[in-house]
Amino acid sequence: MNARSRAATAGLLAPPTFELDHPTVVRVRVQLESGIADAIVGLAPGEAIEVGLPLLRRARYQPELLGLADEPFAWKPAFVRRSLGLEVVRACAQRRFRGPADAVGPVADQAIEEWRRTGWRTVHWEPWLAELGQGARSVVLAEAVAWATPVWAAFDWPALLATAELGGPDNRWTGPKGGTVHLKGRVEARVRPDRGRSSLVSVASGRPGDGWRDELAYLALVAALGAEDLPVVSRVVGLWPECGYRLVVEIDEAALTGAVDRVVDTVAAMTDVRNSAPAAEVA
Amino acid sequence: MTDAPTGERAGWGPVSRVDHVVESQNRRTAWRPLAGAALLERIRETGRPRPATDPAFTADLRALLESGLAELSADAVSADNGRLAVSKDRLTRALSCPVHRTVDRFGERAITLPLACGALVDVLFRQIVTIGTIGDPMTEALDGLTMDGHQAPLLTWIAELAPAELAELRAEVDRQAEGLAERWPVLDASWLPRTQEPLRAVLACGRVELSARVDLALGRRGEDEASVAIVDVKSGVRRPGHRDDLRFYALVEALCSPAPPFAVATYYSRTGELDVETVTPELLLEASRRCLAGTRALAGATPESDDGVWCTPCATLPRRAVRSAIATDEAPGAGDLAVIDLLHGQAA
Repeated sequence: MNARSRAATAGLLAPPTFELDHPTVVRVRVQLESGIADAIVGLAPGEAIEVGLPLLRRARYQPELLGLADEPFAWKPAFVRRSLGLEVVRACAQRRFRGPADAVGPVADQAIEEWRRTGWRTVHWEPWLAELGQGARSVVLAEAVAWATPVWAAFDWPALLATAELGGPDNRWTGPKGGTVHLKGRVEARVRPDRGRSSLVSVASGRPGDGWRDELAYLALVAALGAEDLPVVSRVVGLWPECGYRLVVEIDEAALTGAVDRVVDTVAAMTDVRNSAPAAEVA
Repeated sequence: MTDAPTGERAGWGPVSRVDHVVESQNRRTAWRPLAGAALLERIRETGRPRPATDPAFTADLRALLESGLAELSADAVSADNGRLAVSKDRLTRALSCPVHRTVDRFGERAITLPLACGALVDVLFRQIVTIGTIGDPMTEALDGLTMDGHQAPLLTWIAELAPAELAELRAEVDRQAEGLAERWPVLDASWLPRTQEPLRAVLACGRVELSARVDLALGRRGEDEASVAIVDVKSGVRRPGHRDDLRFYALVEALCSPAPPFAVATYYSRTGELDVETVTPELLLEASRRCLAGTRALAGATPESDDGVWCTPCATLPRRAVRSAIATDEAPGAGDLAVIDLLHGQAA
């Protein structure tokens, strides 16, 4: 553990920079609901839009891809590396292993063994990984190690173990109007100091785009809307390991409003795409 | 620092001939590839103290690149989603003189037996580092390749090989896998070994992106001193340009980490050679100048690539070998590139 990761850890646990009260969250929610109502004008009845960080980024940086249909789901290493990588970081934080390379095999084996014993798929990929040959399996494990290693090195996880939740369910919020718009916020860790407001950690591939502040704030927005009775997140830390970036957004009303604008823009763009899709199909 | 057999390098021809050449070299020189702890020690102990972190120097490196890229127009770098992606292969092609660009066919990815062997050995190296064992090399390498959707054409190509060619490929993959398994020790998890690590350095307000994917990185990114070593694995013959690749990796790592790596190395799985280069400020400066020249050439800003100044084969190979490959209808003198010995310190 070096000084850099210790400082990053202290940053996660620091008191909030800004005070945020419940009326602020209500104000932001009303603004979001109003913006969404305008953005979905013309959307066919029964159509739903699910917004997450990938869609926010695609709408801003690669809008030409918005209309493309998603590929049919099939397991591949890229879909496993995050959840297996998080289990690896957790096992290392518990000091069961000296590093991700030691942990990945036993952690994967344990997940598969647990599934075989109970039939319960904790991380969903157990049956797929269990069926792979040794060559393919080693690629999956290697991808998980490559994902987990910079995350493991970024913070003093053993010191955070008592206050950090690694992975966990996505934060969700469903808007009005019969649930036309759903927001989903996936974070890699929630760090909740005693009696304090949480910090979130988000890990992304590639490099941050110019809208990175709004993207990190979006995660705080969904967390706030999904649990209005809980204190608002104090900050969101974004890691882009490929380019060595660790960027932080301290959450205030302006940050949440910026995220609201991004969501509304994204929903409007998706509505346009959906509305134009039938014409394209006919053509 | 080089750990290598002496003598002329052989191309990757029929397996029996390669084996014969390597074995005869080994007999002649009594050279043996490093293995186990000695191999790691060669990477970790470069003979120089690990350099201290120097933010001012890193800032200078970045400034050198930024100033040289500042004048590039947005149009010039908008080829790939609004940014110019610069990889080692694109740099090499951009900086090759017209003759070597043709002779070496940089950037053309037609599938050949050596290329297939390289892809399979890459998978096996990753497997050795990750789980420490290989069963049937060919089967497991093909199994590993199926995990990468981009490799579907290669898998099809291998499946359609004639029996004799498939046997040749299998024999070479088996031989190199055996060498990997014999020589590469288990890497201590506390060194944080990771494979196929992607690196990106963003320049020119995001319009230029230097990108690399390193076969093996060891060590935690340092705070006070360089503590990362990078290893590139090559299954083919040794080429002078491989050092350019290493230096490019060192540059990208230096730009996206608190400290540069302390060493970069190429491991030749075919022979067991290990070529380790200590990372110094001079190396990084040279790499940044080369990167700048190549990036400007890629953006069409300068015709620097045409004068061969940064063409590694021109700097390191005998002139006659180059001229012999010139098309016969070229004007006399068109490919008459002067050999500049050890230009830019690029000789391997």
